[in-house]
This record gives sequence, C-alpha cells and structure tokens, in this order.
Amino acid sequence: MSLVWKLLRRHISVAQLAGFFFANLLGMLIVLTGYQFYRDVLPVFTKGDSFMSAEYMILSKKINAGSSLSGRSGTFSGEDIEDLEAQKFVRAVGMFTMAGYNVTARMGINGVPVLSSEMFFESVPDKFVDTPVDRWEWKEGMDEVPVILPRSYMAMYNFGFARIHSLPKLSEGIVGMIDFQIIVSGNGKRDAYKGKVIGFSNRLNSILVPQQFMDWSNSVYSSSGDVEPSRVIVEVGNPADGAISGYMENKGYDVENGNLDTGKTMYFLRMTVSMVMCIGLVISCLSFYMLMLSIYLLVQKNETKLENLLLIGYSPVQVALPYQLLTLLLNMTVFVIVCVLLLAVRGYYMDIIGMLYPDIDEGSVLPSFILGFCLLCLVTLFNFVAIREKIMNVWSRNGAVD
Amino acid sequence: MEKIVFESVLPEVFSGSDNIHSEIWRQRVCFQRGHLYLVEAESGKGKSTFCSYVTGYRHDYSGRILFDDVDVRSYKTGDWTNCRISHISHLFQELRLFPELTAYENVDIKNRLTGFKTRKEIERWFELLGIADKINVKVGMMSFGQQQRVAMIRALAQPFDFLLADEPISHLDEENSIQMGDIMMAEATRQGAGVIVTSIGRHIGLNYEKVIRL
Repeated sequence: MSLVWKLLRRHISVAQLAGFFFANLLGMLIVLTGYQFYRDVLPVFTKGDSFMSAEYMILSKKINAGSSLSGRSGTFSGEDIEDLEAQKFVRAVGMFTMAGYNVTARMGINGVPVLSSEMFFESVPDKFVDTPVDRWEWKEGMDEVPVILPRSYMAMYNFGFARIHSLPKLSEGIVGMIDFQIIVSGNGKRDAYKGKVIGFSNRLNSILVPQQFMDWSNSVYSSSGDVEPSRVIVEVGNPADGAISGYMENKGYDVENGNLDTGKTMYFLRMTVSMVMCIGLVISCLSFYMLMLSIYLLVQKNETKLENLLLIGYSPVQVALPYQLLTLLLNMTVFVIVCVLLLAVRGYYMDIIGMLYPDIDEGSVLPSFILGFCLLCLVTLFNFVAIREKIMNVWSRNGAVD
Repeated sequence: MEKIVFESVLPEVFSGSDNIHSEIWRQRVCFQRGHLYLVEAESGKGKSTFCSYVTGYRHDYSGRILFDDVDVRSYKTGDWTNCRISHISHLFQELRLFPELTAYENVDIKNRLTGFKTRKEIERWFELLGIADKINVKVGMMSFGQQQRVAMIRALAQPFDFLLADEPISHLDEENSIQMGDIMMAEATRQGAGVIVTSIGRHIGLNYEKVIRL
C-alpha cells in the first residue's frame, strides 16, 4: 500500500462516504430510470397505427339529449359530405359502411376458444386502409375474409385470457395464430366464413372488413337498403390545421382522434418524467456536495500532512491523486450498481408494457448507460477539479504563515 | 543549479522598519554550489523565513531571488516540485515528519519519490546515527533528538545541489552532532553540493567557509 495513501486515508469518515454513496446511488437511479422509462414508454404513444395514418380523422356527429329528442339523426347526409369535401383542408372523404345483418364471431388461439360473441362489421373505402392490396382483398366466392380487430381485443386477451390459460401472448407478428370464425346471418340466409386477422388498430371500435365484402354481404344478407353513414373518415393535409377544429366546432362534429389524447398524455408523461428526473438530479447534486464537504473536511483535517508532503517534494497532482481515485472508485461503483438496478427495474416494468403492447420495440438501455456514464464523467471531473483546487489552496497557503 | 543569489530581498514584514542591519536582507548575497555556509541569526530575524524563500513556499518579499540567474518568481508549481526533489534539500527546523509512520517509512516516503538510495544505505545511516533500533518505531513515539536524526536521513535521501539545514542539531548531544555533521558533509561532498546551515546559537562544528549574520 502506498505510504501516501496510508497517511491520507486518516480521518476518512466511512459514514460520510456511505451517505454520499447511497444518496448518489438513489439520485442517479432516479435520473436514469426516469430517462429509460420515458424512452421505453414513448413508442407506446407515438407509434403510429399501422393501418390508419395520422392524417386520417374519424368524424361523427355529436350525440346529446337534445338531438335525441328532436329526432335529428346522427348520420351524415349527402349535403354534409359534399360540404366536407368542399373544405380546403380535406383531401378525401370516405364513409363508414355498417353491416346490416347479424354477425357472430368465434375467436380462438391455438384451438382454444377465447371469445364467442355477436359482433359488428364496418368497412371504409380500401384506400383508407394502409395495407398491401393482396392482403386486404376479397372477391366474391372467397371463404376467407380479411379483418382488422380493435387493439383492445388484443390487450384484453393478453392481459386476461393468456395469463390465466397460459397461452402465448399475441403480437402483430403472430396474428396468424388466431382462428377467427364468422357466422353471418340475415335475409333468411346463414353462412360461415373464416376470418383472417390482418392486424389490430387503435382507432377502431368495431371489426373492419374490406369494402368489397361489405358491399357484397350487405346486398346478400341485409334486408334494409342503403343507410346514411354515422361516421366518416377524412384525410386531411395537416391534422394540426386550425381551420379543422373551427369547422368541426361549427358543424357539431366529434373527432375521434386518438392523437389528441396522445398529445395530452405525452405532455403529462414528459412533465412527470421531467419532474422525477429533476428530483433525481437534485439528490445527485446534494450527494455531490456531501462528497465535496466530506473531502474538504478530510483535506482540512489532513492539512499538515498534505503540506508536509508538498514540502518534501510531492507534487499537488500526486497528493490529490489518492482522493481523486477515491471519488472515482465511489462514482464508478455507484454507476455499476445503478446499471444493474436499472436493468432490474426495467425488466419489471417492461413485462407490464409488453403485456399491453406485445409488439412494442424492445428498445435499448444503451442510451441510459451512456447518459449515466456521461454523468459519472461529469461528476468525477467536478470532483477532480474541486480536489485539485483544494490541494492548490494548501500549496499556495502553506507559505502564508511561519 | 550552481548558485543562489539574494538581491535586495526584504521580507514584507520588515518593510516598514528602517532599522535593518543584516548581511542578507537588502543585500546581495550569493551562495555557490560546493561551498559551506553558516547563517547565524537571533530569534525573530527571519531565519525560517529565509529558508522558506529558498524552498519556495513563501514569496512575501521584495527584491529578487535568483537560481542560476533565473528569478524564482517565474517558477511554476512544477518547477518548485522539481527543485524540492532534485536540487534543494531542506532539513526543516520543525522536522515535518509524519508521526503515524515508522522512522524508516518517513525516509522511504521521500526515497520512493527520488529513488535515490537503497534500503541498505538508509539502514547504514540509521546505524551511524545510533537509531538503528528505532527504524521500525513510529516517529510519534520517538524523542525530538531522535526525530531530528530521522529528518536528516530523509533530507539526504535525494539528489541536491544545496542542502538547507535549519538548526539541525538543536536537540542533539555533542557526539551525535559531530556524527550528524560528518554524514551530512560526506553526502554533500559526494554530490558536490553546497550546504547552508542556520543556527541561533549552538551550531555544528564544521569548517564554514563563510559565516553570514542575518
């Protein structure tokens, strides 16, 4: 062991260093976990719907007691559509077509029945569905009907059913595992079709089928004629256009726009994470001061020794080194432990996120590690400079008194 | 380093008084390598101040101090550190030993820096100065006279052009003083170094080439 270290370790307070260690550990863990969590959760909100781009807005008419009593229909008339199409911000308008017949669907995973219920089909013009034509195509005579399910079905299944029955979790990549049987009845007919699940959408509350199938099936199974649509899908140039909200307000239309909620959620998420990270940073800063105070105290208590070392020829660099290495060691240990803890914490919450959004990107912890490493370097650098300054104080002060 | 020159040097504490009769302050004094000097002073005349100017841990003076014609005011931290390990060895009046280290460790902490002496050579000095049995004793447990000898050994465990011995024998008996003087001069001669001994009264009996009254 170095003789210098043997001298300078005197008066090191284990309690003070332990205090710094745990405070810094906590601070850094909070900062890095906040950052990592933000990065991990962000895609949940920003991830686009793979079937409907953000430029599409789904409109419906406001339904309230007044309109119900007055008998005003909640459907879009021909004039409404024309007016809408005439707006500058609108690129294209498509109407939702509803099935005028009964649908019963049975969903199973790997042969295990999961859901069996009366359901409801809707369709929009095919150009509003962003999926390759060959997957979203239906022609008369085909037994297999492509369908897009609401994402909530998947969450319901993954969170509830799959857990209880030890079944594999669904993700968009493995939708092929779903058996989806459709029984369509109406107009005195009853037929079975096989549903082919193409994927899941956040923006639908009903089951989407290709327009051709809808048109054909309505003509075959529905006894009622054409009905006015209660919802329309609109492609707009810029969803943030101020004119849009004004028009909607004026007309009394509701926009079923997930993006709006996403925006708010993102704002709150960002705010919460920032606050948490700030708290972490404050704790880290306090722990930094704690370490500096502890080292200052140490330098003060060992001042005579430091002065003597300098006078017999040790350079300030050599004398500062043991204390600098001590802080480096402490900071490195904190960093390593924080990384391990971060992985553990992340593993825990990623399980939950994975259940809700199985197809979410796994992401990487590397940016957090890099951030942590940068913090480590920064803090260590400050420590080094502060210790060096303190030693230089001893160097230049040692001549002041005789 | 061949010479140390004091040119009109006056400690700031004396700047107010006109009544200075000194052969160093406000004078030009030159200390040459390879020569032996005695700086005699009464208490309070600035003897330790003189030493601290030479070793660069005080700079509160007017005038100039030159090492080989270079004004030491231009010296940076690294220059002084280099000076302290390679050019000027200082035996401090207050010794500046580390009481928690053993006698040997106190010498070794310097010798590790300079790598100048072998363990054998250091042990030999301990024997010559009669403290071989104290070599592994903590300095804090030793008498001041014994500590003075340890400090001397430490001062010799480095290369130097000048050895500054600030009251080296204040707590030593005659016999040990002579022994210490012999060892000190043997090493200084071997290195061809200059020696500046200070004293406020009793001093090592050596063949001083010049006696300067501070």
